[in-house]
Amino acid sequence: MDQKKKILLIEDDKFLLKLYSDKLNREGFEVSMAITGEEGLGKVAAEKPDLVLLDIILPQKNGFDILSEIKLNSATKNIPVIILTNLGQDSDIKTGFELGAVDYLVKTDFSITKLPEIVRKYLASSAQHKR
Amino acid sequence: MPKQTIGHASLSEKKITEVTSVISHQLKTPLAGIKSSLEILLSDDLGPLTKSQKEYLELTLSGTIKMIQLVKNLLDASRVDENRMQLNSERSDFVKLVQEVISDLASFAKAKNSSISLAIKGDIPFLTIDPTRVQQVVNNLIYNAIRYTKGKGDIRVSIERDGDNILFTSLDNGIGISDKEKKKIFTKYYRSPRGVVLATDGSGLGLFISKAIIVQSGGKIWFTSKLDKGTTFYFTLPIR
Repeated sequence: MDQKKKILLIEDDKFLLKLYSDKLNREGFEVSMAITGEEGLGKVAAEKPDLVLLDIILPQKNGFDILSEIKLNSATKNIPVIILTNLGQDSDIKTGFELGAVDYLVKTDFSITKLPEIVRKYLASSAQHKR
Repeated sequence: MPKQTIGHASLSEKKITEVTSVISHQLKTPLAGIKSSLEILLSDDLGPLTKSQKEYLELTLSGTIKMIQLVKNLLDASRVDENRMQLNSERSDFVKLVQEVISDLASFAKAKNSSISLAIKGDIPFLTIDPTRVQQVVNNLIYNAIRYTKGKGDIRVSIERDGDNILFTSLDNGIGISDKEKKKIFTKYYRSPRGVVLATDGSGLGLFISKAIIVQSGGKIWFTSKLDKGTTFYFTLPIR
């Protein structure tokens, strides 16, 4: 049987954290969670997740800084990062993609029911990239 | 600086804009959570629902989506006030954009016993515009035309070339706008008392935001109206 894919969820809102993690757990993913920027960055380095779901407005360190650091570290730079935020201005979206995010989801605009499908899509393209 | 009184406090317009912007942002996170919870429940992820449970949750989801839209409008209005409205212009098929809005609004129009026709006059070139924002304007104008019509609505949309511009027109046979109200129609939070009777759930922000989008896109927006006969909204966008 395939090993469960590990998703790191960096999100400071406990309500959303529960919703997203429960949904991903039900879909067969292993979910690790962090509620601050520093904790998130530490877990990326220590756990090497298969994919990161990253909020932008976070305590201690914001999501854009975390994304930059993930992409600057040779050990973590190939981990796909999906931004999941409520900042929906074009300039924020542009910054997210420029820093290396594979996708940018606005929490109020996307449907949580599509989250597993989106995650699987980037896990598949990441696996193809590794081959 | 203009001041408004709220209770005993007197706040400047600037402060009100700032407070509105902060509160709106803060509302987005719990609203996203409520919306996601409802979507999970409605997807039967946590077990099957009865028909009436589903119906109640669908109504709650629809109310939540309306709240999210209101919050977005409040944020847009704050951005207009602070000159922070960002347009992301790109080559766009304006005709397709209008057709998409009409298609999206078809079921709402049908429910309100209204019809929408589209006339495309001549060749309409692609425009360099922010397609999402311009679509927001088109949606707002046609949506208003449907909402503010009693009985059978007949909404006629047309697109034509007017010199160096594209002219968009939306004509309706709705309740019209009185002379007294005409000056206020693009004002933030203004809602016509006659409009409120027909549709209570507006915020008075749609036309304020629409005007800002069109002006920032290099165009003009205006209307003509006759009370109880109907209103025609026009806007232009430069061909470039």
